[in-house]
Amino acid sequence: MNSWMSFVSRSMFTAVGCFMMLLNTASAEAYPIFAQQNYPEPREATGRIVCANCHLAQKPVDLETPQAVLPNSVFEAVVKIPYDQQVKQVLANGKKGGLNVGAVLILPEGFEIAPPEKLSTEVAEKVKGIYFQPYSPERKNIVVVGPLPGKKYNEMTFPILAPDPATDSSVHYLNYPIYLGGNRGRGQVYPDGKKSNNNLYNASGGGVVRSITTKESGEREVLIETKDSANVVDIIPPGPTVVVKQGQSIKEGDALTNNPNVGGFGQAETEIILQNPARVQGLIVFLAFTTIGQVFLVIKKKQFEKVQLVEMNF
Amino acid sequence: MGVTKKPDLADPVLRAKLAKGMGHNYYGEPAWPNDLLYMFPVVILGTFAGCIGLAILQPSAIGEPANPFATPLEILPEWYFFPTFNLLRTIPNKLLGVLSMAAVPAGLLTVPFIENINKFQNPFRRPVASTVFIVGVTTAVWLGIGATLPIDKAITLGLF
Repeated sequence: MNSWMSFVSRSMFTAVGCFMMLLNTASAEAYPIFAQQNYPEPREATGRIVCANCHLAQKPVDLETPQAVLPNSVFEAVVKIPYDQQVKQVLANGKKGGLNVGAVLILPEGFEIAPPEKLSTEVAEKVKGIYFQPYSPERKNIVVVGPLPGKKYNEMTFPILAPDPATDSSVHYLNYPIYLGGNRGRGQVYPDGKKSNNNLYNASGGGVVRSITTKESGEREVLIETKDSANVVDIIPPGPTVVVKQGQSIKEGDALTNNPNVGGFGQAETEIILQNPARVQGLIVFLAFTTIGQVFLVIKKKQFEKVQLVEMNF
Repeated sequence: MGVTKKPDLADPVLRAKLAKGMGHNYYGEPAWPNDLLYMFPVVILGTFAGCIGLAILQPSAIGEPANPFATPLEILPEWYFFPTFNLLRTIPNKLLGVLSMAAVPAGLLTVPFIENINKFQNPFRRPVASTVFIVGVTTAVWLGIGATLPIDKAITLGLF
């Protein structure tokens, strides 16, 4: 009887969990919106990208761009967000699910995501239908992506259109920095400072744990009786595992749960050169002349050495 | 080989110079015009080509505008300060750290006085000085690489 009940409840949970996962990927968790609402610039003066305010753990990311690009050409910036694909994270409802990825690419002024009609079929295929969103209407050079399912999109290709200094006088042929922020997994903190259920919960008072009750919604209530016999209740949302036991005495600030976070945010930067084709052509001509000059000097020296040897005058 | 002048050993001036370990410019390839007129321009042109090529193909990046009120997340001095910077940030005691920085020029100051204790020039005949030099350079390079890594890998370089 008991086992049959648990089987039914488990399969129901699985069904509900699957449904919630679908919901999650569809709506909710549009976390870049938090940055867009709260910060006019995603990169602070210290070089820190604001995503790190909510995604606390540090994990590596990688950005690959060409060394130099010609004006008005489309090039690819490849963003890699590596993580262990076997790992599952805590979802908003407390169930386990796959990780999401997201990225913000801060391009130099004037650089933009290439319009679809400019993409070759080869590049369009690599993009895999990612929707690139400008950070704000006035900052089209900052591109936000995600949250996307990490299984498919842990390597993303950004098709970027280089500006043309001939038509846009604010752009020059220079070496520009590109900044990348890449994330996998859910955030730990909301912009208002509230912890998400993907975080470690601490005791708000010291004392003895009197009871741990689980509500129907999956929320846990930890009742702590402090030394002066006052009661403190800590509410833990579904997700983190409670590590304290009933009757255990704890200090204020002690961890009540484990830290369920498996994701993390990383920053990377690289440089890209907006190259003038006329300069490269000029350089090739100059180098050719230099080489010819050097060759002629060596030939002249060899000739003069013969004169020296014949005249025995050196 | 091109034109090579042989040393005129009948010349007493040259013999006197050679006896002192000098006078090596009296023989060999003539400097003028073989070297100065023909080979120097080759090298000068090559240097020009290298510099102009770099300036066009890899111009130096324009950094962010300086802001004394916003310290970057990762601070790093000029490359030649990397080893001492690493000493300063890994030694927990600030006084010891500053003293270790001061020890570098202080140690270098002693070199001219210690160097001539041994009369040989050949490094293999001065094993102590050579060992000190090799150990010092290795340490400096090691610490310099460590300065570019996160603080927990500053000494180990993440190798162990």
